[in-house]
Amino acid sequence: MSLYEEVKVHGYAEFCKAVSDRKGKDIFAYFSGDKDADGNSWCPDCVKAEPIVRGEISHLPEGSVFIYCQVGQRDYWKNPNNDFKKTLKLSGVPTLLRYGTPQKLVEEECFKANLVRMMFTED
Amino acid sequence: MAAFFKSRHRWKRTSCFTILTRNLTGKYDYDLVVIGGGSGGLACSKEAAQLGQKVAVLDYVEPSAKGTRWGLGGTCVNVGCIPKKLMHQAALLGTAVKDARKYGWKIKDPVSHDWETMAEAVQNHVRSLNWGHRVQLQDKKVKYLNVKGSLLDEHTVRGMTKSGKESFLTAKNIVIATGGRPKYPTHIPGAMEHGITSDDIFWLKEAPGKTLVVGASYVALECAGFLTGIGQDTKVMVRSIALRGFDQQMAGLVTDHMQAYGTRFAWGCVPQRVDKLPSGALQVTWADTRTGKEETDSFDSVLWAVGRAPETKALGLDKVGVEVNRETGKIVVGADESTSVSNIYAFGDIGEGRPELTPTAVKAGRLLARRLAGQSTQLMDYDNVATTVFTPLEYSCVGLSEEEAVGRHGQDAIEVYHAFYKPLEFTVAERDASQCYIKVVCERGGEQRILGLHYTGPNAGEVMQGFSLALRCGATLSHLKETVGIHPTCAEELTKVSITKRSGLDATVTGC
Repeated sequence: MSLYEEVKVHGYAEFCKAVSDRKGKDIFAYFSGDKDADGNSWCPDCVKAEPIVRGEISHLPEGSVFIYCQVGQRDYWKNPNNDFKKTLKLSGVPTLLRYGTPQKLVEEECFKANLVRMMFTED
Repeated sequence: MAAFFKSRHRWKRTSCFTILTRNLTGKYDYDLVVIGGGSGGLACSKEAAQLGQKVAVLDYVEPSAKGTRWGLGGTCVNVGCIPKKLMHQAALLGTAVKDARKYGWKIKDPVSHDWETMAEAVQNHVRSLNWGHRVQLQDKKVKYLNVKGSLLDEHTVRGMTKSGKESFLTAKNIVIATGGRPKYPTHIPGAMEHGITSDDIFWLKEAPGKTLVVGASYVALECAGFLTGIGQDTKVMVRSIALRGFDQQMAGLVTDHMQAYGTRFAWGCVPQRVDKLPSGALQVTWADTRTGKEETDSFDSVLWAVGRAPETKALGLDKVGVEVNRETGKIVVGADESTSVSNIYAFGDIGEGRPELTPTAVKAGRLLARRLAGQSTQLMDYDNVATTVFTPLEYSCVGLSEEEAVGRHGQDAIEVYHAFYKPLEFTVAERDASQCYIKVVCERGGEQRILGLHYTGPNAGEVMQGFSLALRCGATLSHLKETVGIHPTCAEELTKVSITKRSGLDATVTGC
C-alpha cells in the first residue's frame, strides 16, 4: 500500500504525457541515462545515485507521483539540443526534481540521502 | 530548568536530520544560534558549521502589510538586490532596444513590455535561490528552522511557527541578524491601507501602472528608475534632498538624468493623505512646501520608500538587556559585533552605524563565525566599501564624498579632479551624456592619497570594483595617472583625469 504512484517512462514524449495526465499532482521526477538489457546504465553517476534515491522513496508525500524517466542513449544525451536540455533545462544526469518548482538536485547532490529526504519531506 | 529538559526532549523528535557534529560545550543544544536567515545570517551560520560548530539558523518572514511573503535568503535575495537588479536590467534592455535601431537593427515600433513575463522570470530565479540556500544549509549541516525567533534569556531562544507552535533552543552564543523592513508613514491617513513598499513591488502579479514613489533614497530612485524604463508613468515625491548621505553633486546628476529620461519629480513635496476612489485608483493629496499650495492627483499605485526600520521589536531585547539605539531602534554594537550582553552578537542591517549592504553583512558574518570558533581575531573593516546605485544612469563610489572629505580635511587640503565624458556607445545611439561624470577626491599635499572616487555612467558597479581594491592599497593620484587605461571604455576616463575643480576650467573630455 504505497503512498505515492510510480510511473516509468522512456524519452521526452512519454515524460510529457505522464505529467499532463496527472495535472494538479505533486510530481517528483528522476532522470537517468538509459539502462541496457542487463539493467546497467551508461551513466555511472546514475548507477550510484539510484539506490540512494530509492532508499528515501518511502518519504514521498501521500498522493504524490514519482516518475522514473530514462532519457535516452549517451549520444542523445550529449547533444546539447535534446528536448530535456532545451525545454526542461536539465543540465546533467542524474537529476531529481519537483516538477513546476525550482527544487532540484543535480548529479552529486543526488548522492546525498539527506538532501533527497529533504526534498521529499519539506515544502 | 524544567523547560530546559522539556526542550531537549522536544528536539530529539525533530532532530532526524541533525548529523552528530562536535558539540563543543555539551551544555547547550547548540554552539551557535543565528536569528535571521538573510545575507548575514546565512554566511555566519554556514561558516560556523564549516568550522565544526553545532549551528541552527532561524528564519521567518512576517508578511508585508499587503500580505507578500517569501522564502529563505533575506532581503537581498527576495525583495532587494537580486530582483531589483533584474528589473533594472529589464529597463536597460528597453533602452538598448531603442538604441539598437540606430545600430542597424530593424525593430518594429512600438516596443512594449509585459510585466507578467518579467515578474515570473524574476520570481522563478528568486525561488531557485531560496532552494539553493536550503540545499546549502542542509549540506553544511546547519539546522534550519522556519520559525520566528526571540530571546528568552542570554542562552535561550524561543521559536514560534506560523501556527503558533513554540519551541526552545539553548545556545552558547547567539547572533542577531534580523535586518530591517520598509517603513510605512503611519501618520499619513490611507498610507498603509492603500500603499505598497519594496516588499511588494517585485511580487506584484500585474504592472503597478501610474505610480507615485514617495521618497528619494536609493530604493525610491532605483524603483522609480526601472518602472519608468519599462514604460510605467512614474512620479517621485521628494521631501528635501535625494540620496541623503551620498555625494550631493553626484545625486543631482542621477536625478537630472532621471528627469531627462522621463521620470517626473515633485521636489519639496510632502504627502498628506491617500484615498481610494470608486474607480479603484488612489487619490493622493500633498503639500508643496515651495508654493505652500495643496495639490492632488490620482495614481494606480503608491510606493512608500521612506526608510527602513530594524526588525527588533519582537526580539525580546529589553528582556535580556541588549542595548538598542533609542532613535534608530538598531542594536548598539562594538567593533567585534558584540552587544551589551556578552554572548550575544548582532550585525548586518540591524547593527547601529553599519552600512545596509549585503557584502559587508556577509563578510562580517564570516569573520564573526571565525572569531566565535576561536579561529581568528580579525575584525571587519567597514571602510572604503564600494557601492553602486542602480538608477537608469548608474552611480558608483568608493571612499569619501566631496563633502565628507572637505569636512574632515578642510577645503584647502583637498583637490578634486573631474571630467564630463561621453561613453562611445552613446554616440551612434545619439544619447545624451550630460550627466556622465567622474570625480576623484584626493589629498592636495604629500603623495595625494585618493580619498574618494565617484562615477556616473554605464556599468558603474563593474567600473568601480577594481578601483576599490586600489583604494584599499592606498592608491595615490600618481598611481592613478600612471595607470594605462583600457580603450575604448568608460573606466579609462578615471585614469585620465587632469582638470581640477579649483582651476575652474572646462572639464569636458574632448576626443581621444
